[in-house]
Amino acid sequence: MDSNRNFLTLTTSDDGVLVIAGDIDMAGGPILEDAMLAREAELTAAGGGDVILDLSDVHFIDSSGLRTLLAATRRAAGRGGSLELRWIGPEIIRLFEITGTMAQFTIASRRD
Amino acid sequence: MTDATGVPTTAVAPATVGPVRLELPALTGMSRIARITGTAVAAMAGFTMDEIDDINVMISEVMVALLEHGAWSDIEVTFDVGDGRFTVRGSADIEDFDLDDPDLALCRTVLAAVSTSHGIEGTSVRADIWASLQQQKP
Repeated sequence: MDSNRNFLTLTTSDDGVLVIAGDIDMAGGPILEDAMLAREAELTAAGGGDVILDLSDVHFIDSSGLRTLLAATRRAAGRGGSLELRWIGPEIIRLFEITGTMAQFTIASRRD
Repeated sequence: MTDATGVPTTAVAPATVGPVRLELPALTGMSRIARITGTAVAAMAGFTMDEIDDINVMISEVMVALLEHGAWSDIEVTFDVGDGRFTVRGSADIEDFDLDDPDLALCRTVLAAVSTSHGIEGTSVRADIWASLQQQKP
């Protein structure tokens, strides 16, 4: 049994947005990574497109989770696409600002 | 809340809490256990929600550093509050601890931003990482 299963839950909306709930940390990051890689494979098979994450129910991220997102932005750039972040909260924005990585992300919307 | 005579009382946070010690197996999910425990200690000592948010990140970064750069042995974590200062200390066995590793540098950047002070120290076999946050006076 995967002991990390309950740390992050992911669903895919009808329009292909990955909806995430939980913490993007050392336990949740690898789960998110697997889901993004699967979505990237789908997009590549379909001829391209952007990976879109709905982060409205993510309230914690640490540097390991940040590295997961940064790796996804690099893969997206390599495909000629982007990683779009929706409903990103202040906790995540703060970590981007602390680490000077804000400019590396496509932020479509924010929440308070 | 009132006392036995019906007079309103004000809850006073204790000036000293801990030390509270955990010995955690080297599993990534243990970071959450450490965060839950550490933030509970901070809440008991009267830290604000914003301060507790920072403490949450502090604890996670200590765990990231020890799990990713340690020898996957048990991790000892201690939380304590004294003189309005919350401190988390973590230690674990190490095999090859590179202080210049870029991932560790990212941890240090985050720790520097969310804590009042922090340190990463080590010998050839053991790493100790600590971070403190001084409580703001109301």
